[in-house]
Amino acid sequence: MKLYLSLILLLPLMGGIINALVGRFLPRKGSELLACGVIWGAFAASLLASLEYQGAARIDLMGWLSAFDFQAPVSLYIDPLSLVMIVMITFVCALIHTYSVAYMAHEEDYVRYFALLNLFVFAMLALVLAENLPLLYLGWEGVGFCSYGLIGFWYSDEANATAGRKAFIVTRIGDTAFGIAIVWMFMLMGTVSITELNGMGSTLPMATVTGIGLLLLIGAMGKSAQMPLMVWLPDAMAGPTPVSALIHAATMVTAGVYLLARMFPLISPSTTAMAAIAVTGGVTAFYAATCAMAQRDLKRALAYSTISQIGYMMLGVGAGAITAATFHLLVHAFFKALLFLGAGCVIAAMHHEQDIFKMGGLRKRLPLTFWPFLAGGACLAGLPLTGGFFSKDSILAAVWLKGGALYGGLYLLGLVTALLTSIYTFRMIYMVFGGDDSAGKHSDSAHACKVPGLMEGALIPLALLGLFGGVLNLPSYLGGGWLGGFFSALPGGKEAEASHSLELSLQAIAGVLALAGLAIAHMRYGNARRQERIAAAEGDAPGFVTFFQKGWRFDDLYRFLFIRPFETLSGFLWRQVDEGLIDGSLDRLASFLGRSGEGLGAWTSGKVSVYIISFAAGAALVMAYTAWFLL
Amino acid sequence: MIVPLTHVLILAGIIFVMGLACAIAWRSNLIMILIGIEIMLNAAMLAFVGGGAHWRLVDGQVFSLVIMALTSSEVSLALSMVVYLHRRKKTVSADEFSDMKG
Amino acid sequence: MEQIFFYILAAVVLVATLLAITEGHAVHAIVYLATSFFALAGIFYLLGAPLIAVFEVIIYAGAIMVLFLFVIMMLDMGQPEKARGPSLKQWWPALLLGAIILGAMFTLFATTIPETLAGWSYTDAREFSRVLFRRYGVAVEVISLQLLFALVGALYLGRRKLP
Repeated sequence: MKLYLSLILLLPLMGGIINALVGRFLPRKGSELLACGVIWGAFAASLLASLEYQGAARIDLMGWLSAFDFQAPVSLYIDPLSLVMIVMITFVCALIHTYSVAYMAHEEDYVRYFALLNLFVFAMLALVLAENLPLLYLGWEGVGFCSYGLIGFWYSDEANATAGRKAFIVTRIGDTAFGIAIVWMFMLMGTVSITELNGMGSTLPMATVTGIGLLLLIGAMGKSAQMPLMVWLPDAMAGPTPVSALIHAATMVTAGVYLLARMFPLISPSTTAMAAIAVTGGVTAFYAATCAMAQRDLKRALAYSTISQIGYMMLGVGAGAITAATFHLLVHAFFKALLFLGAGCVIAAMHHEQDIFKMGGLRKRLPLTFWPFLAGGACLAGLPLTGGFFSKDSILAAVWLKGGALYGGLYLLGLVTALLTSIYTFRMIYMVFGGDDSAGKHSDSAHACKVPGLMEGALIPLALLGLFGGVLNLPSYLGGGWLGGFFSALPGGKEAEASHSLELSLQAIAGVLALAGLAIAHMRYGNARRQERIAAAEGDAPGFVTFFQKGWRFDDLYRFLFIRPFETLSGFLWRQVDEGLIDGSLDRLASFLGRSGEGLGAWTSGKVSVYIISFAAGAALVMAYTAWFLL
Repeated sequence: MIVPLTHVLILAGIIFVMGLACAIAWRSNLIMILIGIEIMLNAAMLAFVGGGAHWRLVDGQVFSLVIMALTSSEVSLALSMVVYLHRRKKTVSADEFSDMKG
Repeated sequence: MEQIFFYILAAVVLVATLLAITEGHAVHAIVYLATSFFALAGIFYLLGAPLIAVFEVIIYAGAIMVLFLFVIMMLDMGQPEKARGPSLKQWWPALLLGAIILGAMFTLFATTIPETLAGWSYTDAREFSRVLFRRYGVAVEVISLQLLFALVGALYLGRRKLP
């Protein structure tokens, strides 16, 4: 076990370092082979580790931070949660690395790309396997940095660099809260080891637990792009599509959910914190679904869809259902990566055109992309019997079973969001793949590009996993869930018991809504009406559509609330204080000294009159002094 | 003595200050500066004589004679310099001769 | 009665000096100054120094003032009628510094000096010369040398042909 876990961490790290240092000197094929090979190796190691798994264990690798009573060695913790995570992460990352080889075939700077990608995988695995919070924070920051580097990969275009900066800065806000929480926990309990912290939660007063829970929630908000820190994810689509698939769909953005699931025993006693998590998740899910309905850019629509689905996961955590949330996390990773990779195929075929209103008829030209994409879309929408259906419904069931007015309201919100999810998913599919071949009218060349077989090939395993992923955790009336059983040892892993009929009825409601969404999308975007929609989209959009398209104008709000005062303040401090006050006072002091020197120098004017007055003044001074002292 | 020494000294002081005022106010005219100096020296002589009279010593009068002698030599030299300077620049304004600047 | 003389002569000295220093015309200033010297000589006599009074008139008012007049008239300094006195801007440092010094002096003079002997006596020529040539004999020689230096210097500076 120790060997396998070390390999899991070391292989991507070595790949990244070797690529970064000597990648330029290797042949192209060699560098790419190294990058992909280490991830497939890590996947193999994680499979072997899961075969050998016997129960939760803590494995110490080496010492790291140690000062007085602050101990943070490099120690890993393997338990059901981290085990499923590393298997999923290594598998999806390996597929995406292979896909990237074809996607980035025309890219000159591939060494930087693959090095950053490998380092990202290392950081993510460190995050997931960490046993103490500083190591988790190391992974946390590492994924943030690699995300920044990869979003701004084509940094010569300033918009991309700005998007990378925006992502980094917004997640930083969350990271600060998380850091404060780590220090606070150390101050309270004298340890930063996760297992020990989770055990000591009962000794703390409720207000403290709520405070820690809220700080961790803010940290998760930043990393997982929940409200109000979600503004960075749509702009992060400026990076290459495999990056979007990997980081911003499957792995990094789930880190926030993972953190909350990890610290669940510590923060679950606080109903306020749990409610806050659930509300954040529910509101974000609804918000993102409404925004996705109005997007024209294919990748942005998928980004909002990611925000919405992670909102569902947070809702699950907030309702205390770790199993349901993790189930949805796994299935979502598969189908969201699939959707993004499919979008990459589409975009590559359309000469990097990303507006869905300019695409069409691709189901005939790209059949190998169409069917997996359709499968992924079905999972996303939650059509009955797909993997997405079971996972989303298990979250909704958990929320319903929690009871109470708040969770009831969130359940209804979740249902509405499911309907919207279905609508926007099929809207995307109809616009991109439906209709006849209109690409010839819009693109420059006579026909679209050929999509490399490697890219389309990577879609197939993901599609299968998405469709049949439901078997991971079947509801109890179908034989009980494997994942639920596997997680039962975890705190919060125990699923809420519900009667079969209640489960069936809840699932029926969800299924009906998904099919209703499909019907609505067909009515609006189906065959004949599709052309009307394209024509209608030619002109300017009406006001409320722009509102949704711009993400409820949160960017403008933040610019107004934070950025403009900050810029005003910094401009003031720059011009008035730094240049005016500090530089100016020094300049004025220097010129004053110069002028006073010149003034004193003018005393020796060579004129008798000046000297006479000087004599008289000196005499007056001496006489006055004498008289003063004789008084 | 016919008047207290204090009165004599006060008179000498006022005369001295008047001479100083003359020298300062006319500081651009060489001749008037010299006249101011003369007044100041006179005041000094008065102070000496008064002091000698108060303490019944002759030395006060002797020194006022010494002042007178020195003043005359000083004035002659000064006036010859004024003549010289006037020949150079045709003016007795003291501000014209500022070659010692700096 | 001599006190009244003293104060009258003192008034004359002050007024004449004041007029001398505020007069723009140089010759007028000299003449006023001669007047003040005459009055000062009278004061010297009242203070028991008749020899000094005589020397004041002969040397000061007689030789030095006349020397001034010679030089002023020799220099021919343009139109004396249009001579401008110094403006108020020129006068205020003089007034200020003068006032300070005057104030300091009065403060110093305020201490009373004890009277020694009453009565008025004067020093005649015999006694004066006795002290001068006996006790201050060396000083007399030095002064005479100094007058020589002044003579030579004045001759050199005043010659026509410049070097």
